Amino acid sequence: MTTIAPPTTPTSPAATGRRGPRWAWYAVLAIGLAIGLFSFGYQLTAGLEVTGLTNTVTWGLYIVLFMFLVGVSAGGLIVVAGSELVGSHRLDSLNLLAVIVSGTAVAAAAVSIIPDLGRPFMAWQMMVSPQVMSPLVWDMVVISVYLAIAGIDLWILTRPKPMAKWLRVMAMVTLPVAVLVHSITAWIFGFLVARPFWNTAILAPLFISSALVSGTAFVLVVAWIVRRVTSWRPPHHVFADLGKLLAWFVAVDFFLLVAELVTAFTSQTDYHLAPLEMLFTGRQAPLFWGQLVFGVLLPFLVYANPRLRSRTKLLVAAAVLSILGVFAKRVNILMPGMYEPQINLPPGQSGNATGQAFTLDLLYVPTWVEYGVVIGIGAFAATLITLGVRRWVLPQAGSDDAVVEEQEDREP
Amino acid sequence: MRDDDVLGALLAGDDPNEGRAATVERTSAIEALPPASREWGEIDARSDSPRWGMLVDTERCIGCWSCAVICRSENDVALGMWWNRILTGGDDLDTPSVDEHGQMSMDWLPLACQHCDDAPCEKVCPTAATYTNDEGVVLVDVDKCIGCRYCMAACPYGVRVFNWGEPEKATGVEEGMVHARPVGTVEKCSLCVHRLAEGQEPSCVVSCPAQARIFGDLNAADSHINRLIQDRGGDQLLETKGTEPKVRYLPPRRRRSL
Ligand code: SF4
Ligand code: SF4
Ligand code: SF4
Repeated sequence: MTTIAPPTTPTSPAATGRRGPRWAWYAVLAIGLAIGLFSFGYQLTAGLEVTGLTNTVTWGLYIVLFMFLVGVSAGGLIVVAGSELVGSHRLDSLNLLAVIVSGTAVAAAAVSIIPDLGRPFMAWQMMVSPQVMSPLVWDMVVISVYLAIAGIDLWILTRPKPMAKWLRVMAMVTLPVAVLVHSITAWIFGFLVARPFWNTAILAPLFISSALVSGTAFVLVVAWIVRRVTSWRPPHHVFADLGKLLAWFVAVDFFLLVAELVTAFTSQTDYHLAPLEMLFTGRQAPLFWGQLVFGVLLPFLVYANPRLRSRTKLLVAAAVLSILGVFAKRVNILMPGMYEPQINLPPGQSGNATGQAFTLDLLYVPTWVEYGVVIGIGAFAATLITLGVRRWVLPQAGSDDAVVEEQEDREP
Repeated sequence: MRDDDVLGALLAGDDPNEGRAATVERTSAIEALPPASREWGEIDARSDSPRWGMLVDTERCIGCWSCAVICRSENDVALGMWWNRILTGGDDLDTPSVDEHGQMSMDWLPLACQHCDDAPCEKVCPTAATYTNDEGVVLVDVDKCIGCRYCMAACPYGVRVFNWGEPEKATGVEEGMVHARPVGTVEKCSLCVHRLAEGQEPSCVVSCPAQARIFGDLNAADSHINRLIQDRGGDQLLETKGTEPKVRYLPPRRRRSL
């Protein structure tokens, strides 16, 4: 096989010598999964009391993770289907990996909603007694469809004979469904008259643009890691290509955010200003400004500059920042909406633990249980990607004894 | 007999309602109501299909939390959870609010589920666990609730509470007139639907020492609640949200100044 990097052929001693890291990586995944299962098990026995959630901040880290993972899922699929539809084949070598990443992300998103439920074992009620007006029900449907599409795409891409025509058909189905997935996830929040901060028409476009950023960046980072630790060698230009796309996505994402904030700010109504103050100068300010500088501005400089984006390591660092930035953005969408109830008079709302006094403004701090579950879901996603890469990507790379070792758990 | 004499009559050992019943009998509009025979706590005049509502007279409310406390024992609400709270315009429950002229006043806002006609909580519930019954009461079917707390995010009034942990009781026994709700479900004011079924007014209405809560049938034109709403207006909280609450508030006619 031909490689750009110094050859690490599967049969060379170097590859065999890398079995160690592979098992170390499996051990990391197993530990992550164990942490997640233990935390979730503990939460099941004790109730959601062991989280930092309260009657005021009723949604927290789990929902942030859900929004984030849904976002990551779309990016990948849109990259495949999008370039298919515009007739570009520059990213074709990434198709399989992108579909695996997308499918994984959407599966992990579906999983991440489970620990948020007070009674996960009752979740089947959503199927036997669905209430069709609820965006949560629409989301359940559209996420299932999306998962199925990822499965079909995977099947098509792994056929020995190329099925270009079917890939095109799928692309035409995928794009509208992807748009729906993000819009509906946004509408879960956007339809609530109780939360003016979320109740804005721009939320759906904003979710789509953020999804494009995080999804593309995620594919980029995973591709880079897989390339480093295995014999899989995508053409070198794909990284810069993704970087170029990211420049556009980040710019659009930033523009939509500014459009929303400026509109809300100039309206100068209290219920708009309170959450904005929280973002600009209040509790969320470090995360908000940090996200703008490190999650938008710095990565954008790298993406937009052809010289900088051709330096792959720099590009990957920028993509990691973008991913973290989008995660921070999700936090900054959820928290101000939760912190600012419409009726916020003393003595406030009761907390979550027995005997906890009334409070007007309780800070939400996730507990170890929530972090544990998040680690578990991250490990779940990393496991799926690892298995998927070993099962499908590496055989196509022409190696049957390749080594997969993802160096870091890219769970945020 | 003038209304002011009610206290005098009570002290003299007479039935204060005796004279009053005679007065009201002359008013044709109220003839449908049998005031003298109405027992304390019985529900007001009904139409064929009642639509229950409540009116909170903020002029009469003295912020004593009686309704909040009796609600807990009536409905076996676990420790740390409240279906009914008394909020204040001041900085704290025992501090007055001060207006721009430096005028101080004590004012309270008793807050429980508003039983919205167009209930946002019901629209978002993925399992139809939250529903409105035939009489306009918004209820939660705990057997269907999966604990997603979407309804809590959707309720503009912040009146829903969640069973975060195993519900804890002060006495360790079931205290209320209804079954306790399991861990992982959402609950809120039920308008004491179990009492309505027996022709009784909700607990908080009966227990209010200031008689600041008026309960009745919004579908019956001549119900006490409707007449008061016509006379003094019944404000809706967060009216612009379009939720059409069936719990209304009477604004104070005079300030309770200090
Ligand atoms: S007040 Fe809240 S809980 Fe009650 S019906 Fe309205 S939206 Fe639902
Ligand atoms: S918490 Fe229960 S009642 Fe509320 S929306 Fe979810 S399933 Fe419905
Ligand atoms: S109507 Fe019943 S459940 Fe509702 S606040 Fe009053 S006492 Fe509590």
